[in-house]
Amino acid sequence: MIRIFQEATPEDRRKYYAKEWKIENIPKFIRENIHLREFGFDHTGQGPNDRYRFFRDEKLLIKFLRYRAPYAAYSSVALYNRPWRREGWISSELVFDVDAKDLPVRPCKCDNVCEECLDQAKEIVAMIIDTLRDDLDLDDIHVIYSGRGYHIRVLDPIVLELGSEVRGQILRYVVGGDVPRLSYIGVDGDIRSLDHFMVDMGYPRVFTERSRYTILHLSGDDKIEDITRRTMKKILESRDLIRSDEWGEFKGVIGPIVYERLIRSVAKLNLQLVDARVTVDLKRILRLPSSLHSKVSMICTHVKNLETFDPFKDAVPDFVKEKS
Amino acid sequence: MMPTIFINPFSQEAKELVKNTGDLNNIIEDNLYLFHIIEHTSGQKLDDDSRIPRSIWELSIKRIEWYLQKKGRQKYHPGYYRFLFNPKLAEFDVITFYVLAQAIGARFNPNSREARVFIESEGELVKERLSRTENHLKDNISTSILEELLDGEKPHWTQLKKLLENRKIKLTELILEDGKVILDKKSQQGRTQHIIDSIREKIIPYLIMQETEEYIHKVHEMAAKIEPHHTLLELADKIREKISQQFFIPKKAVTGTIRASRLDFDAFPPCIKNTIAGVKAGNRNDAIVLLLTGFISYARLYPSIFKDRKPHKVSDFDPNLDITLNEILPLIYEAADNCEPPLFQDDPQEKFNITAKLGFGLHETPSLEHEGESKWYTPMSCEKIKIHLPILCKPDKLCEKIQNPLTYYNRKRWEKKEKGDKDIPRSNTRR
Repeated sequence: MIRIFQEATPEDRRKYYAKEWKIENIPKFIRENIHLREFGFDHTGQGPNDRYRFFRDEKLLIKFLRYRAPYAAYSSVALYNRPWRREGWISSELVFDVDAKDLPVRPCKCDNVCEECLDQAKEIVAMIIDTLRDDLDLDDIHVIYSGRGYHIRVLDPIVLELGSEVRGQILRYVVGGDVPRLSYIGVDGDIRSLDHFMVDMGYPRVFTERSRYTILHLSGDDKIEDITRRTMKKILESRDLIRSDEWGEFKGVIGPIVYERLIRSVAKLNLQLVDARVTVDLKRILRLPSSLHSKVSMICTHVKNLETFDPFKDAVPDFVKEKS
Repeated sequence: MMPTIFINPFSQEAKELVKNTGDLNNIIEDNLYLFHIIEHTSGQKLDDDSRIPRSIWELSIKRIEWYLQKKGRQKYHPGYYRFLFNPKLAEFDVITFYVLAQAIGARFNPNSREARVFIESEGELVKERLSRTENHLKDNISTSILEELLDGEKPHWTQLKKLLENRKIKLTELILEDGKVILDKKSQQGRTQHIIDSIREKIIPYLIMQETEEYIHKVHEMAAKIEPHHTLLELADKIREKISQQFFIPKKAVTGTIRASRLDFDAFPPCIKNTIAGVKAGNRNDAIVLLLTGFISYARLYPSIFKDRKPHKVSDFDPNLDITLNEILPLIYEAADNCEPPLFQDDPQEKFNITAKLGFGLHETPSLEHEGESKWYTPMSCEKIKIHLPILCKPDKLCEKIQNPLTYYNRKRWEKKEKGDKDIPRSNTRR
């Protein structure tokens, strides 16, 4: 039995950084501009209090990690001319943080993270990447397993200089955080509206897909704004209609007024699929790929193939395997 | 027939027209043909000669006046401004547009209230002109505008970056495919096409506003190098006078308006109370600069902003900045000192950002000479607080009904008044 999710001891950390960790495991997109990034470290397990760190080259970073064996290591998503003062901002990666622990609907109901919710996080990551590629034409996308979820890091030049506002809007788009507004003025001059499931393209389609995901993952015990237990029961009983894409039927069964309420609440739940604060923060520091997540004894890992990636095989440090 | 130049002053045709127009000295001279067009505009009220522009100069002022009166609602008589929607006026209108843009760009800061009023008036005119255009003509005009301003009807979404940044449109309102925004006519079937048509119509006024803003920036930069024509500067002064009249705050406030008064701490929403109590590192900057600064300044000086939606300046309510310097800033600075660690200790430049958010540009303290160098920002919405500062958002029952902390404040004060609470601070400014 692998002892994952147990805290690493200082000795485990030293062993990991001395014997197992390699600079090559840091993705190239970070290694090639180490000197422009701010680094932060947590030495005690209290949070990254040691910030504004700067390394002129890889050698200095290697030396630091081997010598200090930090509890956690972070690097900025931003590049700076003066990273030691967090000044001279050049650009920031566009980031989405999907934390298995914080998913708004978790059928597994576990207290922390488990295989099931990590799989769920992976599924959400795959959906977001599809939307980034298909709808937003973004291509340079990297996935990092963070230890308790995934980071999506987008490096396409067109997103690197975007401000917080547009990043927030991209986030709402990819998670389905807004109920689509689909109204137009008819030939008679009256305002007419369409339901999201009537338009099978662009954002309405994304919203329909995310809403399907959220509704199909409701456990029944979830507390959803404006939805009573009785209504929730009805939703669960009829949700097979959504599975077979019969949204109109589903709306008819639960009633149009309840449907409007449900869909508004689902949009709010969708928004919680990703930690929005991370996406809009241009100066965020994220766990350094290749570093040890000491709280759960797993390696923060650059995922080469999301389909085949298994955190329980690919992100487990040797000291955990040896103890098992 | 509605010519494209009547909607898009940035079309090649419009630019050519302006290039071939005579010198600026002529703009103050009466033009009989202009008068003739206005006189023969269908539905135009002609009972008051002073309301009919006879020169480009007067037409420029009328253009701004129309917008101010329409937004002000009280004295708005659309019949006096029908000529603004007469396509026969198109050529005069294009010249007027450029005269106004150059006058404003030469005299005022691009972020000034005068520039904002002009840009917004242009957007409103385009919107109304488009809505008055027959459908088949509207399609052709929209297509040519999209082609000229966005290089086609399927622009990459990043071409709309500025509109997204300024929150004129939302990404989730667009239909995207392979990174392209679908805006072309007849690309889709049935009802989906109606949605695309409505997006086209929504986007065009904003595109024209964005172009206008960029043009004003260019003029402003040029004016720093080349002395602007005196006629333009005189026109700019006249426009400023017109706008100031509209924004002058009368001694007696209109019935029902939420009046400025001393701050009622008891009516502050939980997020503001939490901010004042002190915020920890990580959230301090956003909480003090983006949330508290807008909240305190508007709550103190112009609590009805979301009702009136007029682009007022701080000095409209606080002409000598006495309240700003002696009440508003001390409260913001005190909250900054309560932060952990105190905000200005390691981020002294945030004082500059606070001044900028009050509309006085990047300076350590606000002064009248710098007013207009930046916008007076409203506090962030509840939606944004939930994303950026979730730690401060501890909603109570009243929070469920509102979308901005300032609305909470007004509502709470109203509720207190309804309950007969006498402990509500009384109005002490001119409004």
